[in-house]
Amino acid sequence: MSTFFETLQFIVAITMTDGDYDYLIKLLALGDSGVGKTTFLYRYTDNKFNPKFITTVGIDFREKRVMYTASNPNGTTTGKTFKVHLQLWDTAGQERFRSLTTAFFRDAMGFLLMFDLTSQQSFLNVRNWMSQLQANAYCENPDIVLVGNKADLADQREVQEKQAKELADKYGIPYFETSAATGAEVDKAVITLLDLVMKRMEQCVDKPPAEPASGNGATKLGNAQPNERKCAC
Amino acid sequence: MDLSLLQALEKEIILEVLRRDKQLRIIEEDRIRRMKCELQELRRRGAKSLARQYGERTCARCQRPLGKFWNSGAVCRGCSHRICSKCRVGVGAANWKCTVCHAYRDVKIRSGDWFLEEKGKKFPAITDKYETVGETLLKTYNVLSHISVVPPTPPPQLDYQFLSRSGDLKHAQPFTKSVENLMVSFTSHIKKISTSQNDVRDLLRVNNSPRGIKYSNQKSLSDTDINKCGILCKVPSLPNLFKKNKDSDQEGSSTGAEEETSFSSEYSGGRRSSNSSVSTECGLFESVSVAGELELAIAYNANSSCLEITVGACRGLTHGDTKKRKCHPYVKLYVLPEKSSKMKTTVKKNATDPVYNEIFKYQIDRNLLFGKRLQATVWHAGTLKRKVFLGHVLVPLDGWRYEDKSSQCFTWYPLCPKIESPDGGTVE
Repeated sequence: MSTFFETLQFIVAITMTDGDYDYLIKLLALGDSGVGKTTFLYRYTDNKFNPKFITTVGIDFREKRVMYTASNPNGTTTGKTFKVHLQLWDTAGQERFRSLTTAFFRDAMGFLLMFDLTSQQSFLNVRNWMSQLQANAYCENPDIVLVGNKADLADQREVQEKQAKELADKYGIPYFETSAATGAEVDKAVITLLDLVMKRMEQCVDKPPAEPASGNGATKLGNAQPNERKCAC
Repeated sequence: MDLSLLQALEKEIILEVLRRDKQLRIIEEDRIRRMKCELQELRRRGAKSLARQYGERTCARCQRPLGKFWNSGAVCRGCSHRICSKCRVGVGAANWKCTVCHAYRDVKIRSGDWFLEEKGKKFPAITDKYETVGETLLKTYNVLSHISVVPPTPPPQLDYQFLSRSGDLKHAQPFTKSVENLMVSFTSHIKKISTSQNDVRDLLRVNNSPRGIKYSNQKSLSDTDINKCGILCKVPSLPNLFKKNKDSDQEGSSTGAEEETSFSSEYSGGRRSSNSSVSTECGLFESVSVAGELELAIAYNANSSCLEITVGACRGLTHGDTKKRKCHPYVKLYVLPEKSSKMKTTVKKNATDPVYNEIFKYQIDRNLLFGKRLQATVWHAGTLKRKVFLGHVLVPLDGWRYEDKSSQCFTWYPLCPKIESPDGGTVE
């Protein structure tokens, strides 16, 4: 039996460990303890739900290969598809792991900032997480998606959509109400973030190298992506 | 950041995650290396050599002559070369780039270099921006757990054996040596840490256990393989193309790999000799700890379609016969995966720094080199046909710049330990 599992593990290893992909994108989920980061990622990668609460020890990550279709700034698809290997870092929400988890912010290209729709406190802490991100992420304004999880628990809801939407608008980031239990909006939230990161990459290489913080790049991008924050990174 | 506040079990869980991350990173590094080799190839094909007359009006990419009025070409905004209309990528009269500049941009995105650049801007203090936090942590704590002689993630059933043998482990010569090195670098790094408290990046250069215990032997083999690739990549340093940061990239990553290899080889060599009853891999042949380097030069002769491998010398080999402190080394070459082609040097008596300078020719069509690897194994020829494995080197033969003169020069490769069958082949 054990050899069977070893073989199985080996096969899995082969499929996941070949370098046949075009991009390695590293995303990271953060937020208070118990908001459902792990179950969210589990739903995304394996399309399964585990209702048990198992607190994450420090950090963990999951992987998924997705096909990404590049789109022009005007929204039409160029028809080019790429294989993207997603490395989704899962962080512990618990305070005692804080110094460890925040250190990992630096190596992520995009962030899923999560809170629990049934917990007002977890929503209030979004501000703190934002400032943690500003301090520790690879640039001042990284790509972030705000995720209100546990949308299926409608009767226990403490955070209203309007409230969360306002906050997201203030930061200029997209907002999604997801449910790891039902899978609602989970894929969409991750793909939106992936899309932002993919666009960011283009912006970063296309801006003129001599003048990193000039308005040149911003005007060029401004007409292409009206809601996009300028790449001041 | 300090893992010491966490419980031992928690630390192990985290280190396990980081090891998984390292697996992923090894694959990624290999992918990036291939990508940059391809880019270099593209660039080389188009590059205007100095021998070519510059006054001549030709497209810098395809070398086709440009007319004075008709198809006169235009200057690429990226490289300032004059480019014909066929070698342009992108739309519009203003926003095009030449094929090489386009490929360069593409590689910058796909390799994640854009990210490292941005990260470097925000954290200019990072000495090695190519190293992730996870990598640093893994290095630090894998090593620290060695110091306290707790084996890195031992398989549960072997646990007690490891601990009971930890004495041997500690006294194994190469290991103590590396611990010394490690302490030196550790103390030197401590100073740095105290200046920037919150920063984890440069704790220790020296790495970590071979994942041999946890992962399959095959895995660790391919790891050394990839490490070799990293080293290989340094040799044809991308000319001009990856100007400042790209060069430091090559340099940085490859030296890292070297250090890593040498340490892990020393350690696992020590482990193997002291734990022979534990590891199954030891019954097949004798082995001592692996140390030293092998000098090789690889060239391809297109006229005779021969791969020409020159075995230069070895240095710093361990004694094959540890009791008598003798070493009669020779080098055996295979072109993998076939093993039809055995090539051996002469045996040098009583030398830990033998000089061979022997050339071997291997008839093979250029395009058949794809996927082939050169395996060079150093053996000690003992009495009564007994032989002792002293280390090996794996060099991938595809993606090798055979036209590039610099790559045909001698290069020192650190020797790695590996699981070998008695005939010197790879157990795969």
